[in-house]
Amino acid sequence: MRETIKMKLIYPRWEKLRGQTTFNLPPHGPVVFAASLPEHVDVSFTDENVESIDFDEECDLVAISMMLSTQVKRGWAIASEFRKRGKKVIFGGIATMLHAEDTIHYADSVFLGESEGRMEQVLKDWEKGELKKVYNYMGKLPPIELVGPARRDLYKRELYNHKGVQMVDLFHASRGCRFSCYPCAVSYLGGRAFRPRPMDKVVEELASIENNRLFIVDNSLAQNKEWEMQLFREMIPLKKKWISHTIEDDPKILDLAAQSGAWYVYQAVYDTSDYIRERIKRYHSYGIGVEGTILLGLDNQTEDDIKRLIDFLLDIDLDLAEFTVLSPFPHTKAYDDLLRQGRIFDHDWDHYNAGQVVYQPAHMSPEKLQELYDYAWSTFYKDESQEEKMTRLFIKVMMREMEDGTWVPRDRRLINKSFGKDIVRTIGR
Amino acid sequence: MRVPEKYYDEKFDFRGEWDMLSTCGLKIVKKASKDIIVVTELYQENPGTSVTYAGSSLLLQICEAKGLDLNRVIYVECNPDTRSKLSFYNEEYFFVQFREKDGKLTDPSYKQMTDQEICDLIYG
Repeated sequence: MRETIKMKLIYPRWEKLRGQTTFNLPPHGPVVFAASLPEHVDVSFTDENVESIDFDEECDLVAISMMLSTQVKRGWAIASEFRKRGKKVIFGGIATMLHAEDTIHYADSVFLGESEGRMEQVLKDWEKGELKKVYNYMGKLPPIELVGPARRDLYKRELYNHKGVQMVDLFHASRGCRFSCYPCAVSYLGGRAFRPRPMDKVVEELASIENNRLFIVDNSLAQNKEWEMQLFREMIPLKKKWISHTIEDDPKILDLAAQSGAWYVYQAVYDTSDYIRERIKRYHSYGIGVEGTILLGLDNQTEDDIKRLIDFLLDIDLDLAEFTVLSPFPHTKAYDDLLRQGRIFDHDWDHYNAGQVVYQPAHMSPEKLQELYDYAWSTFYKDESQEEKMTRLFIKVMMREMEDGTWVPRDRRLINKSFGKDIVRTIGR
Repeated sequence: MRVPEKYYDEKFDFRGEWDMLSTCGLKIVKKASKDIIVVTELYQENPGTSVTYAGSSLLLQICEAKGLDLNRVIYVECNPDTRSKLSFYNEEYFFVQFREKDGKLTDPSYKQMTDQEICDLIYG
């Protein structure tokens, strides 16, 4: 029998955007990675966003999983602490892939690419004391069939709970993206081909998730109509309620999405056209909520354009809106363009949080864009806060759950807790 | 968003970041005094690293593959017009220069070229 390897798997914290309601969702990348580990690896998972790291916990090997650019500096600092204690540290995840050249300096090893089918060899190398500095699987995608059910058993569930309400679970039915959008690095990271997981495995994993509320985190579900319709058909009996990125604007698909439990979707709102207005209406006509995602600071936007866009958002009855400023992440066209034009002035990855301006916009000063970003949030949520709007969406999903018998009351034991911390109530004081 | 073929004479496969298979459009115009290399970003047809991110590595790979003298090339990056509704995909040309440091080409600097400048360079 093989000796057990104790791996400490860490997801570094990042600074949340000021003024926004913080919801800590159970991270997906680390538990998908954990599913690719051989059985003799005993994983202990720490999400630093909801708990502190015990640097002295006994372990054989440390793995750091990073998704965001705003995690990388913290990830490097964590690695340094463990390496001081003589532990070997291996990095992985999409932010590791975007920032690999820098991350190498803080790591014993960096793993680039998708881990399915590859970790057995990495661990053998480690056991022999021959861990490679770089495991380079960029562009060499493993068979999608190897993607196993995520190791959600590693979550400390009570840490992803707000006042007794369990946060949504994250799930993916596909990888890759056939689109290559201006601000996005997904095509570099996951390939420019849409790679759906086998439907039987998708359904099996969905059915195994105890949580009735999900966030389907696929880059876009609108990549193949037949597949999308099949996915929704298969999901109907599961009675899950779900959030996702954009879905296809087709009556048949919207109808199936609604039947399969579509709760709300993220929809990019990039102009004030009737097309966008009608699209939002169509979602709503099927009972699907919409969270608009609005990217500010593109080269075609003036100050007036941004103000008009915000007025438009208030007019089209969005359920929620999320404003971001363009962040030129490496391996995006936005990065290439701004680099060539010498417009990137801030290279501190902690500032690449989509809420801080790190480049010179085309039609205004960075300070003005920052001001418009703050203005967008405060104006959209002036009459009803983000938490209040979220509550309205939440009530809608509860009603649907009560109708189909899937509603689960909040956990009374956690009613005074928010993401593992005590809630200080001020009412009545 | 297919890139029209008028932008290149051939597709050139290169090793991108972390040796990823990558592809760009390539046009080489040989002149008496200089050889002009125009690399074109192919977007969806490029499975790997962009021409801008590849930088000097791409230039060196082209010179090696085509037997060009690095000291007599003019290197131009092209963002082709893909007939996209988005202005970010308009046609643009950049004259790129690298600094030689410790035997490596580094610190690219970019100068956007006018239509007239690119016409003069290639057809002049």
